Amino acid sequence: MTARHESTRSAFIDALLQAGSIPNSDIVVVAADSHSRYGDFVKRFPERSFNVGIAEQTMIGVAAGLALIGKTVVTTAYANFLTFRALEQIRVDIAAEKLNVKLVGTDTGFAAAWSGYTHLALEDMAAIRALPHIVIVDPADAREAFEATCAILEYRGPVYLRLRGRQEEPSLPVYAGPFRIGEGKVLMEGRDVLLIACGSAVYESLKAAQLLKETGRTATVVDMATVKPLDVSLLLELASSIPRVVTVENHNITGGLGTAVAELLAEKALGTRLLRLGLRNRFGTAGSEEMLKKEFRLDAEGIATSVKEFLDGGNKDENYYRRRPPGI
Amino acid sequence: MMKDSELEVRKIQQAAAQIRKDSIWMSTRAGCGHLAPALSIAEIVAALYLGVMRHNPQQPNWPDRDRFILSKGHGCLALYSILAQTGYFDRRRLREFCSTYDTPLPGHPERKLPGVEANTGSLGHGIALGMGMALGARLDGRKYRVFVLTGDGELQEGSNWEAAMAVARYGLDNLVVIVDRNQLQLGGFTEEIGRLEPLAAKWAAFGWSTKVVDGHDVVALLATLQGVPPEEGKPTAVIAHTVKGKGLPLAENKVEWHYKVLTREQYEALKDELQLGELLDDCPA
Repeated sequence: MTARHESTRSAFIDALLQAGSIPNSDIVVVAADSHSRYGDFVKRFPERSFNVGIAEQTMIGVAAGLALIGKTVVTTAYANFLTFRALEQIRVDIAAEKLNVKLVGTDTGFAAAWSGYTHLALEDMAAIRALPHIVIVDPADAREAFEATCAILEYRGPVYLRLRGRQEEPSLPVYAGPFRIGEGKVLMEGRDVLLIACGSAVYESLKAAQLLKETGRTATVVDMATVKPLDVSLLLELASSIPRVVTVENHNITGGLGTAVAELLAEKALGTRLLRLGLRNRFGTAGSEEMLKKEFRLDAEGIATSVKEFLDGGNKDENYYRRRPPGI
Repeated sequence: MMKDSELEVRKIQQAAAQIRKDSIWMSTRAGCGHLAPALSIAEIVAALYLGVMRHNPQQPNWPDRDRFILSKGHGCLALYSILAQTGYFDRRRLREFCSTYDTPLPGHPERKLPGVEANTGSLGHGIALGMGMALGARLDGRKYRVFVLTGDGELQEGSNWEAAMAVARYGLDNLVVIVDRNQLQLGGFTEEIGRLEPLAAKWAAFGWSTKVVDGHDVVALLATLQGVPPEEGKPTAVIAHTVKGKGLPLAENKVEWHYKVLTREQYEALKDELQLGELLDDCPA
């Protein structure tokens, strides 16, 4: 698979510039020392660009104040600092009032690589997903990041957008149509297993599906870029014909995409079997993205291996459920 | 004959007295509420709404109105009273305080009530919210000002100080923070728990024009608040010295009265002395 390479961050900036350039645009950006994440927007629209310093709580409060007087406000920071440092402001000031503020977390998944667990955002979706009203979007590649940014800037309400680093990323080799909030996209069709992925795990899942094909198993692969609200009708339709479901996310399996799918399938009692791939009750650690994906079996080979074991009836990983903190 | 300014002061003092009566009435009826933290800010809130702010209760969303954010959201009894007094809603709605499901007058203010600009209740949010509104005024070329009232204990939340730095960096002279310096917080005296002094020097060091006033002296409050900003290009911090529980002698300056209300028996006993209305009436006297 070869494709155009571009970073989700630069795609976001392109979309922001495009939307911000429309005459009478009400888009305002607020940074917490993270001005560079807005690229040329700050140079082109200095009067609409604010930087409050390394102060995520203030960034969110200021964004809420601007949204309360009618602005479309974009905020961005490292995903961990945005979501955890300012979680209470996000909850009280933004979510409860459904304010038109976009929360753009960067360096999600393994993108922060060598920075270690403080910067590796692998629990951020769980935090945001617990709050009512916030849409969560984790685009698969730069093209989708561009389209998703355009869509969330048009949408009036709070959104958490998951971006990665400045590194170029492979683009998906297939295009299943324009991005729409709340709609999953079927990228590949197969019979044996349903792979539901988000973010950069979509690309690895597609590659894994090709590896599986070589062993005689075919997979349906879904890009579930909107993690909240889930595309329930698509999921139910697919899961009712393919009762082996695997979720793949660069995130802990607690609270993110896997949990959302698990909740749905359990409540609907479809009789499907489910495997959630992601980190299992662990923090990230320092390493290159390749090393980390390999360690956590979230590269194509790791995903394919886990899926094969799952289809063969193994991979129960009961230790995950049994593992307890020391002394308990 | 009284001069206009004397009439204004008299009117504000009467509104502050009404805030106290309304707050006691609402909290006693509901059997809950932060009464003492509302009593300390009665003159501040009355002075803002009747003598300082440009606002129009008939048009709560008028874009050029001055904004008020009660960062110490637990003081909402005072806010509800002044909003009712100035005509944002019918006084009879004061009986909805903490008494009906999904009430627009809950224990901390929410925007579902006309006149409330921001949801508060979690401490340390107001200054950043106000900064966003103040930046928006500048961006839109509007002249409105934003008044944020914080508690003093509230200033122990670090978020206030990161916001204070950012506000000063942007030179927002359309933003005023008033600190209700009543020396008490939920758990005791501020200086024994999380020392704030030298408080005026802290604000000055953060780049704010700083004023210290008696928060119950309407003349002093008006002189200070009508004169903002004292320095162009600088935000203003007003430290208003107050007494928690002011006007209700048994609650004044008492730690335990942070979240305490009168019993109905106490209310009846104090009714004549404090000129309180009937608890069972449609609205406070």
